[in-house]
Amino acid sequence: MIQGQGNIMHNAVRDKVRLMLAGREVVGVLGLCGEKKGVVPHVFTTAEDTARLVLEPKWPLAKTGWIIARAFPEGEALGMVCRGCDVRAVEELVKAGQIRPGALKTIGVSCSAAQAEVCLCESPSVPGEEPVAGIDPMSMPAVRSLCLEPDRLDRWREHFSRCIKCYGCRNSCPICVCPACKLEDDAYVTTGTLPPDPLTFHLIRAMHLADRCVGCGACQESCPSGLPLLPLHLAVRNALRQREVSLNGAGSLSLMTAPGAEAGTLWEDTLGGRSNGRRRA
Amino acid sequence: MTEPASDILSPNGCPEIRAVVFACRWCALVGADRAGKERMDLPASFRVIPVECAAGVEPDLVLRAFAEGLDGVAVMGCHLGGCRHNEANRSARLRLMLLQDLLEIIGLDRRRLLLSWGTAHEGYQFAGLMREFTAILTGLPPVDSRLLGPC
Repeated sequence: MIQGQGNIMHNAVRDKVRLMLAGREVVGVLGLCGEKKGVVPHVFTTAEDTARLVLEPKWPLAKTGWIIARAFPEGEALGMVCRGCDVRAVEELVKAGQIRPGALKTIGVSCSAAQAEVCLCESPSVPGEEPVAGIDPMSMPAVRSLCLEPDRLDRWREHFSRCIKCYGCRNSCPICVCPACKLEDDAYVTTGTLPPDPLTFHLIRAMHLADRCVGCGACQESCPSGLPLLPLHLAVRNALRQREVSLNGAGSLSLMTAPGAEAGTLWEDTLGGRSNGRRRA
Repeated sequence: MTEPASDILSPNGCPEIRAVVFACRWCALVGADRAGKERMDLPASFRVIPVECAAGVEPDLVLRAFAEGLDGVAVMGCHLGGCRHNEANRSARLRLMLLQDLLEIIGLDRRRLLLSWGTAHEGYQFAGLMREFTAILTGLPPVDSRLLGPC
């Protein structure tokens, strides 16, 4: 039954790709191409070629799409077979002015509930498709043990000590596209020391992504040391949600430019001092 | 000059707790200045770095300070609604509160980062905050030379 549904979806996506290519809207469509030993990202340019298009396994393609399409002249576009996270990533890239609106045309494929559980995904469906129930990452044991248990500092210490500073997390991240990166700045990350100080490496990255992270898990997927980076970013998103900050919102580009909440006059400190409108004695 | 009574000194004479205070020059720096001028009872655990606005203290800088092995960092700005720079301190507050959340997520105590918005303008307010902050840092479990670095 599930196999059948998968085939229907597969055919529907293939038809959309063919239609897009036939209409000459795009120079090609980026998707996954089945090979003898797995899959590789591939730009499909002809209808015959699309016979080799596959949808599984999940492979976030937004960064690859950005690398190809960022230099496109006005009017040229690349199609892309997208999961929900890819669609959000493309929106973020457009918001940040990293890619021309319309330069990446998305063909959405919703993830299954089973895939959402593997990815700790909050919103696995794509706009315009049947909604798929997401999961609350903070309810998953993998996240809870790292972000809520009392001994979490020791766990993080152990994980971070395995970092080999390959920059794979940054390089695979569809949001990390800044031309200048703090992680390459000697003032923050010292050249030649391993492992890097997690405070100035992983936590700076977590702060920079914050509300822009799309939860695709590309960082964790690409990490050769198997660091649990996705739970870190998801926990930050959860903290922001509790502070009623809009995530991947249309307005805010990042926390660095986000307007602060609570209008009016307020004196406060984090040791408990707080007063509205009148100075504390 | 005699050492203040509240000083917490290790056997080698150095303060046991080390903290840095980023003080907005329009507010908390005035408080720090007055506390010093009036010779108030202050712990020796901190150094003040004057900044034009608390919003200029980005979270990266605070993390860098912690990576140096400091026990605590304080960021003190004007009261919310009284910022000299277009309400910049409201967004600074949001960013730094998220940084507190992040410290808590990985298991460091959020109280290691003290935020004050307009509550350190007077000398006695500044001195009170610093005494309280030093007491909190003293009560926290000791960490290695680097907070999260390899053991």
